[in-house]
Amino acid sequence: MMKFWQRYALSWGWLIILTMASVAIGQYFQYATLNSVLFIAIVMLIIALKGQQIVDVFMELKHAPSLWRNIMLSYVIVVPLIITLIYI
Amino acid sequence: MPDNLQQALGASTNEPTASSKSNLKKLPGDLAMWFFILAELTVFAIFFIGFAIAENLNLVMFAEGKAQLHKVAGLINTIALITSSYFVAISLHSMRVRNDRQAVFRLILALVFAAVYIVIKLWEYESLFEQGIDIETNTFFTLYFLITAFHFMHILLGMVILVYMAKNAYQGKYNDSSSESEFSGFESGACYWHMVDLLWIILFPLIYVI
Repeated sequence: MMKFWQRYALSWGWLIILTMASVAIGQYFQYATLNSVLFIAIVMLIIALKGQQIVDVFMELKHAPSLWRNIMLSYVIVVPLIITLIYI
Repeated sequence: MPDNLQQALGASTNEPTASSKSNLKKLPGDLAMWFFILAELTVFAIFFIGFAIAENLNLVMFAEGKAQLHKVAGLINTIALITSSYFVAISLHSMRVRNDRQAVFRLILALVFAAVYIVIKLWEYESLFEQGIDIETNTFFTLYFLITAFHFMHILLGMVILVYMAKNAYQGKYNDSSSESEFSGFESGACYWHMVDLLWIILFPLIYVI
């Protein structure tokens, strides 16, 4: 069974990896001149993944009433989705 | 709030059992704080969407503006805030197992990483001012300064809250059974800090990366 600090440490590591990934992808697309919408969609997906970690692990909403968890998860999905749609 | 103490005691073991999980379905912190968090998130969502629309209308200006920003500074700030949030999360656990000194130490570490953010952000502003760039330079920098400065103020408020939480934890106020609501205050403060982190998670890629 995972101890509490392992769960938080894993989440921290995952957030750092995702942050690095989004910056690395940004650098790659800057020079590769590939489809910018695809790039934005990938970065926004990374935002949603990071948001889910903060909401479920750091804010401890995974075991909270589903209404509040769903509201917070919706935010980290809907806002990046709207931003992606604006850039299309 | 009696439920808070109940949850606090339940969480003091390593993991809640399957049967106890359903009983522990409670919102961390005060309900009022969550409504406040929702209001803050809504305001920032309007900022983010407004920024994206403005960028779509001024692609060249925004590309030039973003090229003048210091991406590494933004990256360091992201890592600093995530790490700060991590220390706040584990300090909450320390409070639940009644280890006040450890909680205070972890809150101080969280404040140190928050201070890293403050120093780097101020350095970033100063370097832009030295280049003659300010809030009136163009639409990009108007939005850049508005959004990041508004977030900066939330960081400052969050730091005040963390100091208050550390002070109360140091004085053992969260261990006083007659002040159960104070423990809920600790959770509320922690959730506010995580919200500030959550906002930067969206702000950084939107303004610095894409």
